[in-house]
Amino acid sequence: MSTVLIMRRIVSDQRVVLTTLTVGLFIYFGLKNSAFFSTDFVIYPLLRDGAVLTVIGLAQLCALSVGHLNLAVGRMAAVAALASGAAYQYWHLSLIPGLLIGLCVGGALGFVAGLIIVKSQVNAFIVTLAMDFALLGFVTFVYVTFTGATAAFITKPKGMEFWRNTSLHQYCIGGVCGPKVFPMMLVPAIVALILVGFLYAKTRLGRELLSTGSNLRAAKLSGIPVDYRVIMAHTFSGLLAALAGVMLAFTNGSFTASIGSQFMLPSFLGPVLGGTLLVGGSVQVLGTFIGTMLTLVIRQGLSVQGIGLETLNIALGLVLLTALSLGQIQKMFTTIRMRGQT
Amino acid sequence: MKKKSLLAGILAICLIVPSPAFAAKPDFSKIKIALVPGGAHPYFQPWIAGGKAAAAEFGIAATIFNETGEWDQTKQNAAIDALAAQGYNAFGLFGVSPSDINTTFAKLKSKGFPVGSLASCPGGYDIVKEPQKNSADFCLSTDTGKAAYLAAKAVITQMGGKGNLVHLTGNAVDANTIRRMDGVKKAIAETGGKVKLLTTITDIDTDLQTATKAVSDLFAAKGKQIKGIVTTAYNPAVAATQGVATTKLPIKVIAIDDDPKILAAISSGTISGTVVQNPWGQGYVGSWVMAALGSKACTMITPGLYVDSGSFLVTKSNVKTYNATRMATSKAILADFQTKYMTCK
Repeated sequence: MSTVLIMRRIVSDQRVVLTTLTVGLFIYFGLKNSAFFSTDFVIYPLLRDGAVLTVIGLAQLCALSVGHLNLAVGRMAAVAALASGAAYQYWHLSLIPGLLIGLCVGGALGFVAGLIIVKSQVNAFIVTLAMDFALLGFVTFVYVTFTGATAAFITKPKGMEFWRNTSLHQYCIGGVCGPKVFPMMLVPAIVALILVGFLYAKTRLGRELLSTGSNLRAAKLSGIPVDYRVIMAHTFSGLLAALAGVMLAFTNGSFTASIGSQFMLPSFLGPVLGGTLLVGGSVQVLGTFIGTMLTLVIRQGLSVQGIGLETLNIALGLVLLTALSLGQIQKMFTTIRMRGQT
Repeated sequence: MKKKSLLAGILAICLIVPSPAFAAKPDFSKIKIALVPGGAHPYFQPWIAGGKAAAAEFGIAATIFNETGEWDQTKQNAAIDALAAQGYNAFGLFGVSPSDINTTFAKLKSKGFPVGSLASCPGGYDIVKEPQKNSADFCLSTDTGKAAYLAAKAVITQMGGKGNLVHLTGNAVDANTIRRMDGVKKAIAETGGKVKLLTTITDIDTDLQTATKAVSDLFAAKGKQIKGIVTTAYNPAVAATQGVATTKLPIKVIAIDDDPKILAAISSGTISGTVVQNPWGQGYVGSWVMAALGSKACTMITPGLYVDSGSFLVTKSNVKTYNATRMATSKAILADFQTKYMTCK
């Protein structure tokens, strides 16, 4: 393959364009105001927030892979965090068992959502929207009834502070320590990225999930048990939403009803910006991380410039619209170039 | 009325306690204060004027008001980080999540910044009995339970001590709302069953449209059964005021805060009164205290101390004079910080 062709392929890869855009914007904001390069106040918190939002993006990606939307990702995260919080507060469980309870609850909610979709044949949009409302009521009821005036589970398991506050800088090999800007919270996000990436790129199950999303009828005719695959996709979605919910609780410091209430939009932004198709059949796992980081860099970059709320949201919307249009712009240039060659 | 206003004004000026004489006027020229509410809400707007007044009066280098938190703790933390990166070195915060905000306070304190918890204290414990659990240097806030109790008592009096009462409020899973609900229940309990809590409607402080719809639905369903309404959140207060004015139902209303619509309704007699809080004082006093801590001119005697920023019942009789009283109270609170709550060089 010629160097020119390789270069063309690299340039036409949306992930490369997004990474360039993200890094470019990061440098631009930093040059405009050097405060943006602050390790403690910008880069570390940016990566920590990015870790949580990447995992919620992956939760949505799993549903998108079969052509479904999961509008209940936020509330699944809230219920899972509630379960973990209750486990720490009432049963005094240590960090990992409490986390596992949350993951099981999230996975179970996803399984139920998938089962209802398959059995009722009602659109996933409707089922997860209804589930979102039901879980909202449930979460409010539980916190009001069981937590009194606190409205939160505030017991902190041993190790929670570690995950929230520490960086890879604590670990050294042969005198060389990890970067100070690398939050420990990024570790579960990277593990999730590797596992989800492996699932979709290297396993038969992943290919079957994508086939189900790409063309349900064709997948069924090929012998793929599409109903099971839909249920599995939603189970994975619930499981990852739960992980994101518990990660957010660790980041903020307690388990509250508001966990996940702001997850809906970022859950779509990361994967869609990264190149995952809304109609199913194609996912970009690494792109989800890059897309998430792009939105965070834009928001925090504008915030450090001291831009007010209204201008911030307008600017954020315009930059995201441009980023989302990049794929189309690339396509347009390719078409023009091909016409020129013929 | 004019004489009354004049008297109240004079009284207010008399109440202004002069600042104690410092050995030398503290230098606040390196202090840049960030006032960060949880998100955009009319309640916090007086923080801007309060902060600016403190900056002009005490020589604080700068104050900034940032409401980009959008009622999300993660976004508020990001906004705080951005301000710290810009060089702001003292923080007055209203935490989105009362149970999480201590984490943010602790982080800022670990970086050496003075932090004030304004308009709300961290949740999960009794702030009065256990100030050491507050990771901020102090908490200057309305005693929400007390304000709700005051409002409920006022409306019960207006109702003639009997009948059905409705409580309109904000987020049901917020520690402050729970304190408010407890305050209202306490006032009702004191009537010995003569007043009944018909319903408590929560989660309607998101915006005025939501609150207006809830009030319309309430009046349509139970309007004739209601004898009094107590509101302990801003948007429901405005909506209840408008609702009573429109439907002309004989319902006594005690609102909260001092939106112009509420004050006009008190003046015209449409509603009985309102309980106003003191956000201006929170911005003004809070800025001085943070500047004094940041410049090392003073230290808190009891770190994490809770101080009530005040709540005032406003009726037709004092609707024109309450602001002077409120400003005088702010100055008195400031003097208390300078003389009772802090040790200054």
